[in-house]
Amino acid sequence: MVNLEELKENAKELLKQEKVKYIIGYKRGTNGLMPVPAFIKKPEDVENLIWDPLCIYNLTRFLVDEKRKKAKQKNPDERPVGLIVKGCDSRAVNVLLQEKFINREDIYIIGISCENTGVVDEKKLVKKLKGKKVKKIEFGKKNGFIVSTEDGQVEVPSSEILAERCQECIAHFPVVYDVLLGEKPKRKPDNPFKSLEKMESLSREERWTFWKEQLDKCIRCYACRSTCPMCYCDECVVDTINFAVTADTTAEEKAQKIKWVEKSPVLSENFVYHFIRAIHLAGRCIDCGECERVCPLDIPLRFLNKKLEKEAKELFGYDVGFDPDRPSLVSCFKEEDPEDFIR
Amino acid sequence: MKKILRKKSFLQWVKRLESYKIYAPMKDDDFWNFALINNPKDLNLNHSNTVLSPKKIIFPQREVILEFSTSNDSELEVKEILPEEKASIIFGVRPCDARAIPLMDKVFGGDFTDPYYWKRRDKTILVGLSCNTPPSSNCFCLSVEGSPHSKEGLDILMTDLGDKYYVESLTKKGDQLINLAKNLFEEPNAKDNKDLENIHKDSEKKIKRQIQDIKNIPAKLKEMFESPFWDEESLSCLRCGICTYLCPTCHCFDINDEIISSSPLKGKRVRTWDNCQFPDFTMHSSGHNPRSDRASRLRQRILHKFQYFIEQYQNYQCTGCGRCISKCPVGIDIIEVLNKVENYGT
Amino acid sequence: MEHNAYIPRLAKIIQIKEEVSGARPIKTFRTQFLNKNDFAFHCGQCTMLSVFGKGESMISISSPPLIKDYLQFSILKMGRVTSALHEMEVGDKIGIRGPYGNGFPIEDWKGKNLIFIGGGIGLAPIWSVLQTALGKKQEYGELKLIYGARTSKDLVFKEELKELKKKMIVHLSIDVEEPEWEEFIGFVPQNVTDKKPSPKNAITITCGPPIMIKFVIQALKDLEFEDAQIYTTVENKMKCGIGKCGRCNIGMHYVCKDGPVYSWAELKKLPQEY
Ligand SMILES: Cc1cc2nc3c(=O)[nH]c(=O)nc-3n(C[C@H](O)[C@H](O)[C@H](O)COP(=O)(O)OP(=O)(O)OC[C@H]3O[C@@H](n4cnc5c(N)ncnc54)[C@H](O)[C@@H]3O)c2cc1C
Ligand code: SF4
Ligand code: SF4
Ligand code: SF4
Ligand code: FES
Repeated sequence: MVNLEELKENAKELLKQEKVKYIIGYKRGTNGLMPVPAFIKKPEDVENLIWDPLCIYNLTRFLVDEKRKKAKQKNPDERPVGLIVKGCDSRAVNVLLQEKFINREDIYIIGISCENTGVVDEKKLVKKLKGKKVKKIEFGKKNGFIVSTEDGQVEVPSSEILAERCQECIAHFPVVYDVLLGEKPKRKPDNPFKSLEKMESLSREERWTFWKEQLDKCIRCYACRSTCPMCYCDECVVDTINFAVTADTTAEEKAQKIKWVEKSPVLSENFVYHFIRAIHLAGRCIDCGECERVCPLDIPLRFLNKKLEKEAKELFGYDVGFDPDRPSLVSCFKEEDPEDFIR
Repeated sequence: MKKILRKKSFLQWVKRLESYKIYAPMKDDDFWNFALINNPKDLNLNHSNTVLSPKKIIFPQREVILEFSTSNDSELEVKEILPEEKASIIFGVRPCDARAIPLMDKVFGGDFTDPYYWKRRDKTILVGLSCNTPPSSNCFCLSVEGSPHSKEGLDILMTDLGDKYYVESLTKKGDQLINLAKNLFEEPNAKDNKDLENIHKDSEKKIKRQIQDIKNIPAKLKEMFESPFWDEESLSCLRCGICTYLCPTCHCFDINDEIISSSPLKGKRVRTWDNCQFPDFTMHSSGHNPRSDRASRLRQRILHKFQYFIEQYQNYQCTGCGRCISKCPVGIDIIEVLNKVENYGT
Repeated sequence: MEHNAYIPRLAKIIQIKEEVSGARPIKTFRTQFLNKNDFAFHCGQCTMLSVFGKGESMISISSPPLIKDYLQFSILKMGRVTSALHEMEVGDKIGIRGPYGNGFPIEDWKGKNLIFIGGGIGLAPIWSVLQTALGKKQEYGELKLIYGARTSKDLVFKEELKELKKKMIVHLSIDVEEPEWEEFIGFVPQNVTDKKPSPKNAITITCGPPIMIKFVIQALKDLEFEDAQIYTTVENKMKCGIGKCGRCNIGMHYVCKDGPVYSWAELKKLPQEY
């Protein structure tokens, strides 16, 4: 079992010895049930760190901000950033390393094993408790969670409230780390693509209807993109996050920038946005499920990425985020790659 | 006008209003959202806070401003496109969302009135529902001069009294709706009035969250413009559009030309919601960006709501609906931010 | 029904003059409305110009209000809309809506010495007020222009400046040395320091890139100008032009509506977000 005190002790030492600039972890929020990201700079603030089954966020995304900030600084602090990662999060780190977006020496990875469970889906939990307020939630001894409410403690089996991504997780265990807390789990999912089965059994028309309905809801708040550690482009097809204009950028270059997607949140534009995003994540998405979690309209975005993960697995035998030295899926070509889907 | 409507008569009342377009909160799996009601039977007023506020009906996320085209003899033609709206009623409006509408009126009124907004606004009737229990755990209307039974901005306020609704009409538009089905309404008796008062009083006690001392906030914010506070508070902000798009008072927009054909030219000028948390919102063509980091963008959101709007219109530009708090993916909490502002440096 | 503020009026381009060529080209356009020419405005006000299919850009009117039969704009090619404008020919049609903004308070400046300080395209908004003052020369004190650009080729209104020299004091500058250049070499703020204009009974009007404005104000403060004697214009990204779309604000002010003209006394009280 991961021992929170051990986590704090580790973090405190890192900060005391000034080995890291700061540590990105989880702390209690003020807005409800969910923890929030914590940026711990001083050893005494380590007390704020928490670890519980609601620590669902993938904090890897903040490495993107860190990199941008550092690029702007004249004399940046060269020490690494401490980052707390779960299994899936660690695979995101690997993808960023693989793509040379970050350097290994710029991060100090504190790995946390999800052991035999995983993290909790907030919505499932709220439903399960039918309005009762959660005071505390802990990992159970076996395969479940201990939830304390105002009416006392209940043990909830993980099958009821576990996040879907955790049910299908192929490694609840950090694959890259500098220090590791907890033990390597034994559980393997029966079928890592189980959630796709229902969708795959639908006809083409039914799927079309389903996605039309779902993507029609999208308000293009881009929270899905903003929370994704892989969506780090300065210039996205939909807008400009960090357009690098220099004295050499010509008016023509700016004028001819193609508008791939109009700002109007209408079905056609929403489709283009989401499909481009999905394709750009093929072989890169590590299924942390954050895009789906943050969507205010509950659009099941995970389906799209999961489907492409499955394609990558079946067609190319490619598992995402396990080996930072392996060439990435979309940037390499092999003689034996299947071609029969190219028409 | 004060009336009583039996719950069993509610459906009949709505049926009498068939000449109007009717919007009401509808449940979509796990959440509520305002939608056009085709069958009065679908109307259900047990909703928690809707994801989007009814602002989306009066100020839609996308609307066409004008169309342009060149004809064969290359004559350029520009056509104004104003919304042709049928009169509509929005049921189940929460008092905080209703209070947001007069704030929008100020923005879209003034020196240059906005015809697109007013075409819809003038034809919309707002029927509110007081919050006997807060529809969200992050409600804080009492801190921003509102209340769970505020009448501001509404044409009718309904309050659930168990098996009946207390229906108070506040405007001529509201009277009209009641007059369309006069026979369904009864006069309230002394007990009804007493119940109403108690329920309203009670509902205030159930609001759990609050801003400590809002009166000092605008002045305090003014002093804190340059403070490193904003860097700290915005560390985890993702620069997404949730807090602003979901906010009932945020009104910023973009205008773009969308082309259907480039030769002969045919297209539309479209206005869409935009927001101060997107980096390119303020980015000049030269690449210079006066608000280039998360800190300055969070500061803009808070200051617009709690300093600039007060300076301009003598109102907070926040009605305490709690959406930006509940839905922020990283838990940035406007109440907490303001409470910290209040205590900052003391 | 009131006029819909978002609908531009159609106008025809009647003259195009290439002011500056090269990588940062500037052209001056004159336009006439297709229907009545009844467009009233103040010096320093702007309009939203439309190229249909490309979008809109906020551009200062560089002709003085006294001229009724055309509007003049000088436009630096920057991006989508301005590039499209640069590709237009005489006879092409654009949309114009406005005028927007507060303009310069020239009525309050009667009897004062006016010192115009501009950099690059920044002469455009100055030109309208300068011409207006020049037209009523007897009502003002001494008129002086301090203007500069990167190179001599980047100066706008080259011929008009030659003419202007006959009517008022003109100090030009370029950033780096060139053969044949006889006037000041260096940045505009340095030229200001060099020419030492007197603050006595004077008003200064400064337009140009933000960094230039910042240093000009510094130079003027060193010469003991009061904050209220220094006027400048502020530029921010704009879309609606009428104080609704929410993006051009500095503090509670919408630059499109409450600006773009500010005295330093006013501007320095606002958040420095431009
Ligand atoms: C009050 C004011 C007066 C101006 N007067 C002049 C002038 O007389 N001559 C001149 O050449 N330029 C002037 N500008 C700058 C001019 O508006 C921009 O260079 C122009 O809008 C760039 O548009 P674009 O489509 O070519 O660039 P893009 O990069 O394609 O910009 C896209 C859109 O963003 C908006 N935008 C981007 N940058 C700016 C900006 N700096 N200011 C305002 N809106 C922007 C516009 O709506 C523009 O269409 C003025 C700006 C302001 C605010
Ligand atoms: S988070 Fe949801 S609503 Fe926002 S852009 Fe993504 S899919 Fe659309
Ligand atoms: S405060 Fe929250 S909701 Fe708002 S932009 Fe930042 S992350 Fe998104
Ligand atoms: S600022 Fe937040 S709490 Fe206030 S009205 Fe907007 S969304 Fe609601
Ligand atoms: S340009 Fe829209 S508010 Fe100024």
